[in-house]
Amino acid sequence: MLRYLVKRIFAALITIWVTTIAVSMLIHVVPGDPVQIMYAQSQGTTPEQLEEVRHRLGLDRPLVEQYALYMGRLLQGDFGKTIRGEQPVLDLLLLRLPYTLALAAAALVIAAAIGLTCGFFAAYKRGTAYDTGLMVAAIFGVSIPHFWLGLILLFVFAVNLNWLPVAGSGPENLILPAITLGVTNAAIIARLTRSSMIDVFDQDFIRTARAKGMPRAIVLYRHALKSGLVPIVTMMGLQFTYMMGGAIVVENVFGWNGVGRMAIQAIFQRDYPLIQGFILMFACVVVTVSIIIDMMYAWLDPRIRYE
Amino acid sequence: MTDEELASAAELPSTVEDPEEAHLAWPLRLLRGILGNTGATAGLVIVTALIFVALFADVIAPYDADQMGAGRRLTPPNAAYWFGTDEFGRDMFSRVIFGAQLTIQVGVIAVGISLTVGLLVGLVGGYAGGWLERVLMRGVDVLFSFTETLIALAAVAVLGPSLTNAMIAVGIAAVPFYARVTYSVALVEKNRPYFEAAYAAGAGHLRLIFIHLLPNIVPPLIVVATLGVSTAVLAAAGLSFLGLGAQPPSPEWGAMLSAGRDYFNRAPWIMLYPGIAIVVTVLGFNLLGDGIREALDPRQRKV
Repeated sequence: MLRYLVKRIFAALITIWVTTIAVSMLIHVVPGDPVQIMYAQSQGTTPEQLEEVRHRLGLDRPLVEQYALYMGRLLQGDFGKTIRGEQPVLDLLLLRLPYTLALAAAALVIAAAIGLTCGFFAAYKRGTAYDTGLMVAAIFGVSIPHFWLGLILLFVFAVNLNWLPVAGSGPENLILPAITLGVTNAAIIARLTRSSMIDVFDQDFIRTARAKGMPRAIVLYRHALKSGLVPIVTMMGLQFTYMMGGAIVVENVFGWNGVGRMAIQAIFQRDYPLIQGFILMFACVVVTVSIIIDMMYAWLDPRIRYE
Repeated sequence: MTDEELASAAELPSTVEDPEEAHLAWPLRLLRGILGNTGATAGLVIVTALIFVALFADVIAPYDADQMGAGRRLTPPNAAYWFGTDEFGRDMFSRVIFGAQLTIQVGVIAVGISLTVGLLVGLVGGYAGGWLERVLMRGVDVLFSFTETLIALAAVAVLGPSLTNAMIAVGIAAVPFYARVTYSVALVEKNRPYFEAAYAAGAGHLRLIFIHLLPNIVPPLIVVATLGVSTAVLAAAGLSFLGLGAQPPSPEWGAMLSAGRDYFNRAPWIMLYPGIAIVVTVLGFNLLGDGIREALDPRQRKV
């Protein structure tokens, strides 16, 4: 188990390291002069000021030296300062990150509750009208864009029925974005749960348990669900990553104050230090989640632990 | 696309279980499979209709996409303006029709980029082995863990917002998927007797890759590419909605939804029809992709 853990953490560190290289080079692949582009929106910046910025960002040094400087600062927890307002990037990100994590987590709970139930039920009723109906609903679900579903929910529940607020960052503002993100991902989970459970239902040990006269409920929940759960847990990790990605869009529909909304503004303002920080932070979150999922996976399936 | 779909796409058996169909080449079996499957047929009809609409948009659309004052501002749908008009009096029906052209472009260009780069990386990685394989596939793994949204955002951040850049960004973002599928099929095929025989007979690298490996990678890649169109259309529409893709007055569906946001309280049809257009398009490609997978993979048909 320990060896497995060490191996996974090592792989994660390599991923993060590759990301730091990619992120530090990001600014150099920008077509044109990045400093001019960054300051294109600020009026009355003199060439001397631009030169000063270039020096401050280290853009006038050789690439390797720039990377070394960037990495050195990162290790000290310094993600640089934003172009607009010159605020520390890390502080801004950490201020907003909890909102995005809350949104992704709430959506994951909704998605898992709906998706697991529907997928399990469809697999159990395989080949019936229930199964067909649920799978047709699921393929519709994966085809709906987050932002459009969000707009419709806003229109119906916030504008017309006036049940929920249109925008803001309180707990009641979390409901609609979480449903938006959760429902579309529930469809993916339902489809995967169905195929995973069908595989399990077909296996000999389920047939044996049934043949022995074991009550149906016990076979379903103790035997089938438990072994069907292993691939589903792995899937949840991926789902969380998708949620983080989807949150970027959904936050912008609902005006939810997460990192995604900030990232889009940063792209508009060409605020490269903030964009770089966002990508790096996103990579760290994704990598951490995947390690946690791997741990759960190893815990559920002893074969992995002892490999 | 998900890992599971990816895995099942990569595992398509090249042997046919049904002896009656064994004499048919896979394209024929594919067509048979699609037409024998309600969902896949529906998908094929939708996709064909979309291509038709895009090709003949000039003839079908009653107005120009950007013609302001084609009708009164914010007219609800009626006999003359089927989908109503927007805040500039532009005919929504015509705009949605012209939007189909952009959507087809997004699908072709984005998937074209993912397919070309992904195929190259996967083939080289799978065929070459050794350090080249390790470097390429580790790189793909790292990219894979970032999710497509983040890669696409990073690409747009570098390139700047425009529809062309959004297509490129979405195309780049999906490369890891295509590379992984190609790679896993290449690994399987490389160890089959026919490949070893060709190698033993002295076939060159290019011949081995393009004459022997490539044809076997095509069927699973058709599945991935078809489903990939729906992912690309969704992602590009999302970028345009955020203002990072198509810019107004482009009749791109995501951009139309974004521009109509301020009016949707007074004129809900502005956000209804472009959204339905996206859903129907994505649904069409999803149904078709699922159908193709089932047609090519006899194991799934039994379920």
